[in-house]
Amino acid sequence: MTIDQDPQDETMNGVLSASEHERLRQGLIDLPDTMPRRSVWRRIEAQARAEGMLAKQRVHQQLKWLVGAGIAAAVVLAVLRLPGALDPDAAEQIAGEREFPTEPRYTEQTASSNAQALNVLMVQSQQLEHDLRAVPYQPRLMRASTAATISSLEDRIAAIDYQLNYPAIRMSPAQTQLYWRERVRLMDSLVKLRYAQAQRASF
Amino acid sequence: MSKFADIQIDPGIVRRAARGDVRAHEIIYRAFSAPVYSICLRFTRVPANAEDLLQETFVEIIRNIAAFRGEAPLGSWIRRIAVSKALMFLRSAWHSRGQSLDDEFEEVTPGRPESHGISGHPEHAIDLDAALANLPSVSRAVVWLHDVEGFTHKEIAGLMGKTESFSKSQLSRAYQRLRPFLEAHAAEKSASTAMEGPALGSC
Repeated sequence: MTIDQDPQDETMNGVLSASEHERLRQGLIDLPDTMPRRSVWRRIEAQARAEGMLAKQRVHQQLKWLVGAGIAAAVVLAVLRLPGALDPDAAEQIAGEREFPTEPRYTEQTASSNAQALNVLMVQSQQLEHDLRAVPYQPRLMRASTAATISSLEDRIAAIDYQLNYPAIRMSPAQTQLYWRERVRLMDSLVKLRYAQAQRASF
Repeated sequence: MSKFADIQIDPGIVRRAARGDVRAHEIIYRAFSAPVYSICLRFTRVPANAEDLLQETFVEIIRNIAAFRGEAPLGSWIRRIAVSKALMFLRSAWHSRGQSLDDEFEEVTPGRPESHGISGHPEHAIDLDAALANLPSVSRAVVWLHDVEGFTHKEIAGLMGKTESFSKSQLSRAYQRLRPFLEAHAAEKSASTAMEGPALGSC
C-alpha cells in the first residue's frame, strides 16, 4: 500500500524532511511485533463455543476410532511377532533373524508406523490439552518464577504450533513427528506445573 | 508496508474456518495474533486492554468469516476489524473521561516504555518505541495507521468519525513531537561516523 501524497501533505513535509519522514516510517515498520499470552486463544475458543460459533468437535469419535485402530494394530503385531507360539520352526527362524539384525527398511510399512506414531502423539497432545483445561483457573497470585516458567512453556508451545500449522512451512514426516513429540513433552510439563500450582493455591 | 500483507493463509483453511472448524480458526489466530495484538498494544499501551481487544477481534472474525468473500486479502479484512475495535476502545475511553477527540492531543502521557511491553534499551536515552509511547493516543493511532498501515487520511477520518483535516493536523503535530527523536538519532549517527572517520584516515 502506498502513502497518500496529496497537496496538504506538504504541511507535514514542512515539519519533517522527506528523508526524516522515510527514516521515521521505516523505523516504525521495523518495530518488532509482540506475542500475546497463549491463554488468550483459550478464552477466544471458550467464548466462541459458548456462543455456538464453532462446529461441534468429533474428538470423542476420533479418539474412539484411534483407540480402536491402535488395539487392532497391537493385536496384528502380536500375532506377527509371536508366531513361535503357534509354530516351533518359525520360532527358530525368528531367533536366527534376531542374531543378524538388518537396517530398517523404508517401505510403506515404515510410513504407516510413522503415521501411527504421529497419531499417538496427536492423541496424547489432545489429551494433555483436555487435562490442562480441566485444571482450575490460574490463581491471581503466583510466584514470579512459576509465572515465568509457565509463560516460557506457553510461548514455546505457541512457536511449535505456528511451525506445525503455518501452511508455508513444509516439513518432512520425521520433522513433523519431532515437533509433535516436543509439543507433548512441553504440554506435559505445563500440565504438571499448572496442576501443582492449583494444588498449592487450594491450601 | 503493513505486516498483515505478508501473511498468507491457504483458501482451504479459510473455507474450513467458515464451516466453524476450530482447528482452522486456531491456524488463522496463530498467524495473525501477533500483528493484531501489537496494533492493540500500540493503541492502548496496556497489555490487559490489548488482550481484550485481541479477543474481541478474533471472536468477530469467527462470527463473520463465513461472510468473507475473499475479494480483499484476509489480512486486510482482519486488520480493519482490529483497527476498528482499537479505535472504538479509544473512543469509549474518551467518552468515559468526558474528553473530546480534539482535546486529546493535549493529554499528558509520560513515557514509561517498560510498562507498555515496549523495548527500552538502556543504552539509548530515547528510542522510537518510547517516542511513540509519549504521543497522545489519537496522534499515535494516526501516525501508525498512516505511516505503517498505509491508510489514507480519508480512511482514517472515516474510521475516527472525523474530518480529513483532523487526521492531517494530528499527524503534523505528532511529527513535531517526534522530530527531537529524529534529530537526536541523526546527531548520534553523525557523531559515530565522525569518530570512525579520523581513525580510518590515520591508518
